[in-house]
Amino acid sequence: MTSAPSAHDSLPTGSLDGLTVRVRLPLDRFELNIDLHTEKHVTGIFGVSGAGKTSLLETICGVRRQARGSIALGEETWLDSDRGIFIKPWQRHIGYVPQDGLLFPHKDVRHNLLAGKKRGLQRGHPVQRTFETVVHILELGPLLERTVHTLSGGERQRVALGRALCSGPRLLLLDEPFASLDIALRRKLLPFLRRVRAEFQIPMLFVSHDPLEVQALCDELIVLRDGTIISHGDPRSVLTATHLFPLAEQHGFENILPCYVVEGSGSTGQVRLGEGGGNERAPVELVTVRSEAQPGEALLTGIPAHDIMVATQRPEGLSARNVLPARITQLRSVGHVGLATAELSPDLPPLTVEVTEKSFVELGLRVGSEVFLVIKATSCRLYRTGESRRA
Amino acid sequence: MTPMSPEVLSVILLTLQVAVVSTLIVLLPATVLGYVLARYEFAGKNVLSALVGLPLVLPPTAVGFLLLRLFAVDGPLGRETLGFDLHILLTWKGAVIATAIMSLPLVARTAKATFEGINPRLELMAHTLGHSRLTTFFQYSLPMARRGLLGAVILGFTRAMGEFGATVTIAGNIPGRTQTIAAAIFSAQQVGAQARADFFMLVAIVLGFLAILSAELLGHGRSLPSLARPS
Repeated sequence: MTSAPSAHDSLPTGSLDGLTVRVRLPLDRFELNIDLHTEKHVTGIFGVSGAGKTSLLETICGVRRQARGSIALGEETWLDSDRGIFIKPWQRHIGYVPQDGLLFPHKDVRHNLLAGKKRGLQRGHPVQRTFETVVHILELGPLLERTVHTLSGGERQRVALGRALCSGPRLLLLDEPFASLDIALRRKLLPFLRRVRAEFQIPMLFVSHDPLEVQALCDELIVLRDGTIISHGDPRSVLTATHLFPLAEQHGFENILPCYVVEGSGSTGQVRLGEGGGNERAPVELVTVRSEAQPGEALLTGIPAHDIMVATQRPEGLSARNVLPARITQLRSVGHVGLATAELSPDLPPLTVEVTEKSFVELGLRVGSEVFLVIKATSCRLYRTGESRRA
Repeated sequence: MTPMSPEVLSVILLTLQVAVVSTLIVLLPATVLGYVLARYEFAGKNVLSALVGLPLVLPPTAVGFLLLRLFAVDGPLGRETLGFDLHILLTWKGAVIATAIMSLPLVARTAKATFEGINPRLELMAHTLGHSRLTTFFQYSLPMARRGLLGAVILGFTRAMGEFGATVTIAGNIPGRTQTIAAAIFSAQQVGAQARADFFMLVAIVLGFLAILSAELLGHGRSLPSLARPS
């Protein structure tokens, strides 16, 4: 994407407002009992259906009047039942993006986007500039005069996201915004969320069932079960914590790393891992299958944990295109499977590698071991993000 | 009698006048009642719902007689109690009150069904975008319900045009003053004025048909899929 008008030029920059949610709310099967404090940009919320995710978001919005406890963003208190404070939903300045868009059928796209204009202006938010930014980064220009019922599922979700942003929210709640879309379309919409993340310094809670989305967007992750937070931490550690979460056993854990294309010609492609800031101390490159991506284009690469082999010496005579030196930083046993966390470079997110416990023992792996990770080019999946490398 | 004598015309105009005024009176309270019954849970909701529906199941003459007792000279709203005369009995205003009460349940129930068909989470969205309950109702709920509400209004209007029992009981059947089409057909048939009865019958058929046709046309306009609740 090219240079976009920036929406937050005139907004206070610097650290994000911390979000504190300490609430109890009786639900049908259990009690929602949340104790959460975060100062991160994007916090993912993971959990099976009925774990209380939507109830939590609705409580933060203020539509669950029975909720007791406290909710505050920065200096602003939205709920404090001990002090009798309850701020009404329309005074909370929260942008909410639901699963099913919920666009207003009696307004066209432009007026849906501007539905929260009045509130935005009251807050002194540069609504017009935000509108232009939103139309630009979410590519809504051709849709502005369309009626809502002519939009496709993906277009609806983009409009719903834009509508929330245009109201000048202090907090953005994304309630599985792509859950109603098929997997191919979800991948196409991911870049839009990455752009929103890059453009808007608004704290976000992002409910998702998709490990790739979570790794691509979230700074931390909480896992909800039966209304309580059972895990809270770095997305990669939480996602591979299989005692909480049988995910790695069911589908296999896929490492998601940012990268950008170095070379796209020939029968293979070559990417360099990282956001492309140009200040990597030890750049790590990866040979991948050929893709449509152009040199300089930012991508995400997905490497399944069970597709990575570990060698204690540099192997010879292998077809695998990638042999990367790494250091083991963590070893975990999960049932009969061992998970090793390996660091390629201090600048990059670590890779999770799945090996049998027997291999652990035979290779004599321990924390601090210097190893080589062997990865076939065909094991490196590429996901386009629609971004170019950061200059 | 020529079909369009001033006297005949006055019957038709009075019928339309009564129906229009009573529909205008009913519109706002019936819409609000329908919205409240569709959206809120509160103690006594069932009782309120039953009361709103009551005129549908009562003999219209019972409703008319109740109004007669209310507005009678010695009734709670009569001249002796209030100290002045509201001029309701045997006037077109009495007909308006009778038809309004008879058509309110239809309008309120249709409005309720319309609001129930609109996903309440759309209103939650309006709240998160900074709209209070009141502005959400007027800027979101009402416009989203406009098609169903138009149907409700037409239903209420046709009910008002055809109302007979309650109207004659309180307003009487005075040609040129309180006689509506429904009452004119009854009177003409009673005295054997076949042509007059035939004519008013045809007028009633044409007006009713036009009203239902316009409701059909409005109801079959562009569909609004996102109005539906998720199944």
